[in-house]
Amino acid sequence: MSKREVFDSRLGAALLLLPTIVVSFLFLYYPAALAVRTSFFDSTFGRSDEFIGIENYVSLATDPGYRFSLAITVLFGLLVVAGVMVFSLYVTFLIHEVDYGESVYLISAIWPYALPPAVAALVFTFIIHPTLGVLTGPIESLGFAVDWFNTGWQAFVVITVAAIWKQIGYNVIFMVAAMNNIPEALTETAELDGVSGLRRLISIYIPIMSPTLFFLVIINTIYAFFSTFAFVDLMTGGGPSSSTNILIFDLYQEGFSFFNFGMASTKSVLLFIIVGILMYIQFQLTEEYSHYGA
Amino acid sequence: MPASDSPLGNADMSDDTRRSVLRGAATLLGAGSMTALAGCAGGGDGSGGDSQFSPIAEELTVWHAMGGENGETLNQIASDFEDETGTAVNMEFQDSYENVLTNTLAAFDSGNVSDMLQVDSLFAQQVLDTGQIRSVEEILPDDFDADAFLDNVADFFTIDGELSSMPFNNSNAIMYINRDAFEEAGLDPDDPPTTIEGVRAASEALVNQDVTEFGITWPNHVWFVEHFYSFEGETMLNNENGHSGTPTEFRTPDAVYDLYEWWKGMSDDELYTNPGIEAWGEATSLFVEERVGMLMTSTGSAGGLIADTEGVFDVDASPHPSISDTRVGPVIGGASFYVPDGLPEERYEDIGQLLAFMADPAVQVDWHKQTGYYPITESSIEELESENWFEENPMYATALEQLQAAETDNPATSRILVGPARAVQTTVQNKSVEIINSDDIASGIEAMKQQAEEELDSYYN
Amino acid sequence: MAGILQYPKRWIRTTRRRTDAFFSTAGIERIGVHVQLVVLVSLVLFPIVVAAVVSTKGVGIVTSVSDLLPGSYAAENYREALVDYNFGRFMLNSLVMSVVIVVGKLAVSVLAAMAIVYYRVPYKDLVFLFILFTLMLPVPVRFVPLFQLINDLGWGNTLLAITVPYIASATTVFILRQHFLSIPSSIVENAKIDGIGPVKFMLYVLIPMSKGVLVGVSIIMFVFAWNQYLWPLIIIDSQANQVAQVGLALLEGDVQSGELAWALVMAGSMLTLLPPLLLMIVFRKPLLNTFSIQQK
Repeated sequence: MSKREVFDSRLGAALLLLPTIVVSFLFLYYPAALAVRTSFFDSTFGRSDEFIGIENYVSLATDPGYRFSLAITVLFGLLVVAGVMVFSLYVTFLIHEVDYGESVYLISAIWPYALPPAVAALVFTFIIHPTLGVLTGPIESLGFAVDWFNTGWQAFVVITVAAIWKQIGYNVIFMVAAMNNIPEALTETAELDGVSGLRRLISIYIPIMSPTLFFLVIINTIYAFFSTFAFVDLMTGGGPSSSTNILIFDLYQEGFSFFNFGMASTKSVLLFIIVGILMYIQFQLTEEYSHYGA
Repeated sequence: MPASDSPLGNADMSDDTRRSVLRGAATLLGAGSMTALAGCAGGGDGSGGDSQFSPIAEELTVWHAMGGENGETLNQIASDFEDETGTAVNMEFQDSYENVLTNTLAAFDSGNVSDMLQVDSLFAQQVLDTGQIRSVEEILPDDFDADAFLDNVADFFTIDGELSSMPFNNSNAIMYINRDAFEEAGLDPDDPPTTIEGVRAASEALVNQDVTEFGITWPNHVWFVEHFYSFEGETMLNNENGHSGTPTEFRTPDAVYDLYEWWKGMSDDELYTNPGIEAWGEATSLFVEERVGMLMTSTGSAGGLIADTEGVFDVDASPHPSISDTRVGPVIGGASFYVPDGLPEERYEDIGQLLAFMADPAVQVDWHKQTGYYPITESSIEELESENWFEENPMYATALEQLQAAETDNPATSRILVGPARAVQTTVQNKSVEIINSDDIASGIEAMKQQAEEELDSYYN
Repeated sequence: MAGILQYPKRWIRTTRRRTDAFFSTAGIERIGVHVQLVVLVSLVLFPIVVAAVVSTKGVGIVTSVSDLLPGSYAAENYREALVDYNFGRFMLNSLVMSVVIVVGKLAVSVLAAMAIVYYRVPYKDLVFLFILFTLMLPVPVRFVPLFQLINDLGWGNTLLAITVPYIASATTVFILRQHFLSIPSSIVENAKIDGIGPVKFMLYVLIPMSKGVLVGVSIIMFVFAWNQYLWPLIIIDSQANQVAQVGLALLEGDVQSGELAWALVMAGSMLTLLPPLLLMIVFRKPLLNTFSIQQK
């Protein structure tokens, strides 16, 4: 890699990096740091901030509601990441296997990426609203009661499915690209050896695609924890019985509905730490298992 | 351009490159800081000498939360005002009452505020708590009769004897029924149920005879629970719902237990369906689709319902049901316009004129006819009556009659005035769902009470 | 203990054999794959079909599959959205914002990636991490102080507010870095031997060799910018400057007063969906190329 470092000018490098670093610092790190600072205060509109030390943190640590929120968020994260990747990988594999029509299938699979989350949530409600949903009738005739306004775990399933659905597009794009990079010769050899279908996918393709998959696990985790707010906000409002009160929704509500900026900042910091820990664990685990090509 | 010596190149860029990069960087930074400075200068400089806030624009700016057709009607009012007085008004839609509040509270911090802001009655206390509001009574022109407003309406918005904000789009909750469905079920559409027991009986008739899938629905919004309290003559919070002092207690009199028992029973027996939290659109859709025979929602929906059900079925309005036979009165809902204090003094005259214009009978009459929010001044009501409007459109009269029949001295008919309004609202809404789905209503209500009181406590202490 | 395990093992073995057999049967395999794809892809496509159909209805209440026949109000709904509610203005604002963000991010990230790959930067890994780490700082974590900062700078309600904070992009720098690393170092060395300065290097070597990636990255950034909702919502307070995503709420109408405007909202939604979708469809090849993660 150092063969490429053909330019020595420190000033030059600094100038090139300057815009990115200035903007990152000013608009990302600095507000985040302020948010950390606010987490030690009782802050709301109309009143001056009151320093309360770690009181916010303590009250969260002793709040069973928050622990429950944390638990379901982690579960949600796991299910969304796993669900998205399994579904996307299988669709990618199928697209890879077909001889014609790839473009059509591909576009159809990746279009949710272009859809704004709020619209996605609204459309999903159209489809699966317990009494008004388009698919609700058919699903109920299969024997499942669709009652996710009143039944906690059903609401959880609904937003999990919605979140998975929305992220499929992003994953398929990456996976198709990665799978297209696998040499054709490898596929032919495998087929000749009698390794077919799913075996090929699992034993050969996945290991080769591991850098991409590793990257996607990270991205999907960030997505699940930070970008799924719209689904909860528009479909369940965190309920019923707080069963869909994932951390990002909880913190948004704290800050923007209840205007408790101090507590919202505390929740942000904690969410950030939690995701950081998860990322670290993922890094360690996948470093062991991912294979890098020569 | 001089070639460099070593194959890996020196650190030096060529002179032109360095110059061009520096020039570019300088422009970028320069532009950035110039804008920032200009912004700071512009922001702090009011048109008045030492006014604390500066207006957003030359024209009067009104922040509101009325989308769709109602928003269009507001725009029309703005242009009518301009035609009449020559003062331009910008109606700026802010997406939701919550967002008006957020943007306003932030505007107070930043210094650039709108001239008028429309805030839902639920959030009244938070706006007042900022201390940056000038009461509307001080702004209205002297010849304006502040007593012109209907008592119940004015009462809620009167703080310390002065009208603090100008009521504009107010409503209460009523019930709409599907006359055809009622007839088919053997019920008398001219004698709709007025108590929860009656609602249950009617629902059973509708459902058991397969006329509609469910009996009734309504959006799961705290407003409806408030109505049940108020009709019963009970306040939801102590200290007269927060009007005579800081509320500290969430009250749960026996009637409330009756309410939730009824609600749970209706839900369990599938006579009631839950359309979602604050699901106004979904609830209305269920009614329009004839999946329910009765709908509880805002009086503002009258026009829309008439239009949407035309040719499908006959819709009619009836008063909001009560828990028992006691019928004290509804709580008001809807929003009012607040005006920030600290703008340049000259603007207040124009603002006052706009306020007066919006309360003008002609404007109120039009607003009512277009939207269904009830007319809030005596004179506009008289105007409508003289036109026989209410006789020809009895549905619009129902809400008004319900309001006028209310015992306005009873503190229960004043909507809750509380700081952590949104928190209390979400507590009641979320807990209600839990209560009707649990087996132990009493402990559910107890839990709701506790959580609400925690929120009150952490806000006020 | 091990004895018991033989049963699940045996079961797995037979199932595996059966699955392989299923997938191997030549003719059926091809058809089977298509059938599966059609089913899976339909699941993904279904919501947009619903959205499109609702946008053609009068009021737009659809409650069963049979309601999914297109209505006849399409022209009226779209016209109402574009003309009456001035949705065209919102879309224009979104377009301006997105284009500025894309151009800005592209320029800034190309510079940064170039520095990281082709310059000897002290503590390079730290710098790269500093940039990448911002992925963990999405809007919800910092929007309150950011809001105050933007207002303090006097940028409230301006184009600057909804563009400049987005100019630094960790994903773009990451993708560009990956791509630059895949350019053979021999080309770079030759360029240096020829004595090319950094600007010329960027203009005549890097950019021509990165066209596909740059296009792909631009599409990603455009979609991201176009779909921004939370930040424009809180920082823009005048309708003239507002973007399409927030403008959708205007179409929704005053729900509390019973306006049912599902069809109109869906029409607006379809309008906001079109630009990013079209771009993705037209530029899908560069998009796919961009997304191939090169191995270090």
